[in-house]
Amino acid sequence: MFGGGQGVLLSSCETERGGKVVWRVFQDSVMLIAVNGGQGGGGGSSRGEELSLQRLLENVWSSMVLVLGQDELASVRNVERLKRDLRSCFSLIDQLLEEKQEGIMGNLTHCADCLVPPNPTLLQEAVENFTQAADSEFGCLMVHGRIAVATEKWWRLAPQEVVLLSALMRSLSASGSASCDYPVFLPHGSPTVAHRLLRFQLLPGADVCVLCGPTPSLLRAETTLVGRFWLPLADTLRDCLAVGERCLPGSVSLRPDVLALLLINRETRRSVSCVRASSDSSVPSRARCWELLKLFYIFSTTRYFSQEETLCVSPEEKPQRSSCEDFAPGFSHQPLQCYLVTEECKCYTLQTPQHQLFLLTPLSVPTFALRTVATHTLSAITAATGF
Amino acid sequence: MASTNVRGGGMTVAVGGQTEDGEDYYSDNKSTSSSYSSSNYSDDLEPEWLDDIQKNGELFYLELSEGEEEAVLAQATSSQGVSTNHVRFSEKEAEIITEQKKQRCGSLAKGEPALKRLARILRRKRRPSQRRGGKDGGKDISSLTSAPASILKNQAGQRQGVMVQQQQLKEVCVYLNPKRLGGSSLPLSDRGGLLEALLGVVHHPSWSRGQGDSAAARREERLIVHGLVPNSPAIKCGQILIGDVLVAVDDVDVTTENIERVLSCIPGPTQVRLTLETVGPVEGISGDSGDAASVQRLKTTPPVSQLVRLLWGEDTAELQMSIGHIPHIVMYLSLKLDSSSPQEEQEILYQYPVSEASSQLKAVRGIFLTLCDMLENFTGGQIISSSLLLGKHLVHVGYWKESNNLLVIGLPAERVPLLYLQTVVGGVVRTLKVMYGSLDSAFCKADHAPRLDHFFCLFFQQLIQPSRLTDSSSAPPTDISGTLFLDGLPAVRWLTLPPEIKMEVDTVLSDFESSDFGEMSEDFFGLRRLYVILGSCLFYKAYLIANHLPKEDLLDVCLYCQHYCLLPLASEQRVGQLVIWREVFPQHRAQQRAPGYSQPHGRHFLLIVGLRHFMQCVLLEAGGCASPALGSPGPDCVYVDQVKATLLQLEVLEAGIEERLNAPPTPCLSCADWFLPAATARDRLDGLASSSPVLSKLAGAVKGSSSGSRGRSLFGEKARRSSPQRSLSDSGSEGQADTGTGSGSSMAPALSPHSTPDSARKLGGRRDSLGSGGSDGSGGSGGVFKIPRMKHPNPFYLGTLKKILTERETEEMYNNMKLTSGAENTLFHYVMMETVQGIFIAPTHREVAQLSGSIHPQLIRNFHHCCLSIRAAFQQSLPPRGRRGTDRPQGSRGLGPVKEHGVLFQCKPENWTDQRKPAPTMTYWVIGRMLLEPVPQEFYVCFHDSVAEVPVEMAFRLSFGLAL
Repeated sequence: MFGGGQGVLLSSCETERGGKVVWRVFQDSVMLIAVNGGQGGGGGSSRGEELSLQRLLENVWSSMVLVLGQDELASVRNVERLKRDLRSCFSLIDQLLEEKQEGIMGNLTHCADCLVPPNPTLLQEAVENFTQAADSEFGCLMVHGRIAVATEKWWRLAPQEVVLLSALMRSLSASGSASCDYPVFLPHGSPTVAHRLLRFQLLPGADVCVLCGPTPSLLRAETTLVGRFWLPLADTLRDCLAVGERCLPGSVSLRPDVLALLLINRETRRSVSCVRASSDSSVPSRARCWELLKLFYIFSTTRYFSQEETLCVSPEEKPQRSSCEDFAPGFSHQPLQCYLVTEECKCYTLQTPQHQLFLLTPLSVPTFALRTVATHTLSAITAATGF
Repeated sequence: MASTNVRGGGMTVAVGGQTEDGEDYYSDNKSTSSSYSSSNYSDDLEPEWLDDIQKNGELFYLELSEGEEEAVLAQATSSQGVSTNHVRFSEKEAEIITEQKKQRCGSLAKGEPALKRLARILRRKRRPSQRRGGKDGGKDISSLTSAPASILKNQAGQRQGVMVQQQQLKEVCVYLNPKRLGGSSLPLSDRGGLLEALLGVVHHPSWSRGQGDSAAARREERLIVHGLVPNSPAIKCGQILIGDVLVAVDDVDVTTENIERVLSCIPGPTQVRLTLETVGPVEGISGDSGDAASVQRLKTTPPVSQLVRLLWGEDTAELQMSIGHIPHIVMYLSLKLDSSSPQEEQEILYQYPVSEASSQLKAVRGIFLTLCDMLENFTGGQIISSSLLLGKHLVHVGYWKESNNLLVIGLPAERVPLLYLQTVVGGVVRTLKVMYGSLDSAFCKADHAPRLDHFFCLFFQQLIQPSRLTDSSSAPPTDISGTLFLDGLPAVRWLTLPPEIKMEVDTVLSDFESSDFGEMSEDFFGLRRLYVILGSCLFYKAYLIANHLPKEDLLDVCLYCQHYCLLPLASEQRVGQLVIWREVFPQHRAQQRAPGYSQPHGRHFLLIVGLRHFMQCVLLEAGGCASPALGSPGPDCVYVDQVKATLLQLEVLEAGIEERLNAPPTPCLSCADWFLPAATARDRLDGLASSSPVLSKLAGAVKGSSSGSRGRSLFGEKARRSSPQRSLSDSGSEGQADTGTGSGSSMAPALSPHSTPDSARKLGGRRDSLGSGGSDGSGGSGGVFKIPRMKHPNPFYLGTLKKILTERETEEMYNNMKLTSGAENTLFHYVMMETVQGIFIAPTHREVAQLSGSIHPQLIRNFHHCCLSIRAAFQQSLPPRGRRGTDRPQGSRGLGPVKEHGVLFQCKPENWTDQRKPAPTMTYWVIGRMLLEPVPQEFYVCFHDSVAEVPVEMAFRLSFGLAL
């Protein structure tokens, strides 16, 4: 916007009370500006806001591509028409902005939010068979807006696409329809050619979807395929729904002093997150826990653990993002773990080659025990679920 | 042989002109050289800095004494009255000199306080007893009371050996800046012309003829260097010797005929290559070792460091050019634009520097103005920073709005992370406010521009290429994060001293602060005081050792010192004499409007006097109960002399302070390299010892020391190693270094696997028992466990959870327990800040240097970098101070106040070549904790991962026992 003629590229601004403005030009045609009013006022947190604003811009752009296709956005012929067309992705963008559903971290982490079902093999089989029957290789089962199981190919999609498709599914299922057929462009996989996203509600809170070509028709798939593959599994699905927002099956026993956790598998780009309900007034509320978890994720990734390369950043766009990543490269040794003691809770994060674990514990946990709690939690989850 | 003589004395002449020829020259040229030196000012009762006082009363006078040897040299040559190292801080030298002289006469005439005159007369009488000679004060003080060393004689003696000489060509690059000639009123045509004025080479056409050398006739037109002008490029490069012949400039052959024309073709600041024909001794003939050594010395010791030259205000162009490609800028922009008379760049009130990269930033100043305006409307908050990309460089821009103007500072992101930009900008703003009262008064006066240029030149140099400023090769690679972190702390580095010394220092300072100057004081004459001494603080080698100033004043003073690099200056170089005087505007005195009580409304002056490694900063108040200051008074000789006298009085304590500096670190520190598992280093040391006699001696020393200390023999088999102690430090640490280099590139030097360099120090003091279960981060009981005396137990020993014991019992217990518990000392580094007193304590530079090693410096750099982040996290939780709009919304968003933050790091030795085995790793914590009660403190520690958790808690609680 400003200074482009002078060879200067402005990327972000910060104001006193944590207000933040971030710019980004996509495909030389659309500029997105994200403004954070700094309503919070936690002065230092605004640095973190930058990361989330950057992610927001990327997500908004990708969702525009997802709905409209890249061609239409890259070469705008009629602005008025584009504006009208863009209305169709407002619901998706609103969802990104509002973050209505608690516990969805994927928009920020670019790792798909997952739910670990109690008996994954049955569901996995079902999804694969169902997808195959629908002439597709991309299929997934979503429970409570999180991916329970998906086909191999689904996981091969770019992490951001998986996250966005999940968001789209959530917004579609929020509309209340039992099934729908929605054309989507994959921002990285096929930005110019649309695919069909078929979504069927199996139970309230459980949806299955496939990404397919011209066949089969929605009607045929709904009438013949859904019943065939999913009716026998109704009980399994109920078990799965029962897992709820804990995201982890009952077989995983978490220590009682874990308030909230976010576990990221760095290789598969998947994450599970949960907040334990607690009536104790000395610990932060549920919503606050989610917020703290997000802030802590931002805090530690911007400062210590340089973020995984997200595919949506082309090399020439890379420097644009680096304004919030100027700190981590300054370390001569590699950070592995870090903790934070605040007035509300204690946070601990630990990074191994395969995982990143972010934990919140109440203040009553001794600081020196945090590390043990974290390592035990990590091993308990990985051992029980193989996540 | 004549030329030999000239050349032999070359160095001496270069400094002061001591050879016969040189003497001729100088007596000949007295009038010319007077513009370069002020020391030959005839009235030797005037202090030497008197000429340097600026029109507004400010003074920045710095004179170096460079090491003993150089000091001798200076002493020998000082009779000539040429002080090389003396340059005044001003842009237009000659002009200001004349003005000052006039001004001084004027001020004398128009009512200089009578006391001053009186004092001056008095001083005239007292001088011999009170100070030794004004002119040579700096040199005398450096305890060189012996007769001037006769360098000439020595050299003549060495010179008796027959010398074979050989004509050689050499090339010398010098940096010339014709622009600096501009202000000089020296008539160029008078003598020497450009050759002398620009290059600093003195050539006398007549001399060549007079020499009667057989070759002279042939050389008539050649440019023989007959002399060098002090402080000229020629002398500073250190390679042009008297007697050399200038053959070519940038490959253009030059003679007396064309030299002026050639030099006049140099358009602007540039580097030129001079080709010189020199007479060099033939290698292999050892008869002239002294000469070779002296030449070598001349070459290896640069005349003065870049920093000093920068402080003197020279050569900023060269330094600035070298960072010209890195985008950085400071601008002071007016937000009120007068659109009726559109004028180019009228909104720029001040700008620095003028370089290519910065002009790009300047061109987009509209962005900054727009953003400042827009964001305020948009988000309701002032803009504080923005990031932009300039080509490949990411630049962070910091903003500070004051009334209708906007200060914009752009810095490269790789130097200053965004996290810390605000602190840096805040520091600059505060320094400027201290110096000028407000930003507007700093930037809006045209005659401040050159001084601001100098100010920001220093600022950018320190941030962007700090390594250029400290060109002592021994200094560790500069640690930008460390500088940022330590300078950004609202505190000054403190050195704990043994109580007796501390008491003595305090007494001396108090005596001074009582302003009881005896017959020198105003009271003696029944006059009103000129100034009230508000307090003073004393630095020794960049460490604060005594402070009698309120915290905010201390910080103001310290900011000024930091900005002008006075602290490193005093620690690295021996300051011959430093006198700084300026009006300052202490920030809290300006702001404070407490109801019921108001500070006396006076003007404040800062007087800094440095002698050798000591530096005292005195804050004076005029007005209030002292007589009000009129106009812009310069430094008062009486006060300066009193501070000097104080410093001289303190010099007797230097030995004690040095001893403290040399003492083994308390709490004791470990070197990171010791913790990297490697082949048993002791074995290696022994193995090496058998082959190398030097090493065997070292190994013996190590063994001896370890078995010599109490209880140490018990560990004989376990290859324990004592950390470098004073008695052992030399041999011990060299031994380590040798092992390190000897072990080749495959492994970092690690002395003992998993083991533990504890030092066999006396672990004095008492141990307090500590209840277990110190768990949460609030750590409210820091004060409970204060150690009664100044002894510092190492809080990281596990075996210290014992009841109070007598010292001896403790020692025994210590040894015994160490045997059983196998406690290891795992503390690497620490910084503790006492927020209330505005001081921080960290291991001294020397302590860090003793722990040589390859990983350790990296670790410390990493520690500092991490501390930047930790401190930024702490800062966000504190209510913003000094910023506008302090009413922060109460909603607890964000992470909330952070009390403690720790990061675990892993390090691997570099250059791990062994493919079969994975590189050994070492993990360590960097932890910071902020306490608000009972006294606000911040700790930052770095220790090995293996330390048990309870001692960590204890470490924080004990506050290291560094009670003040």
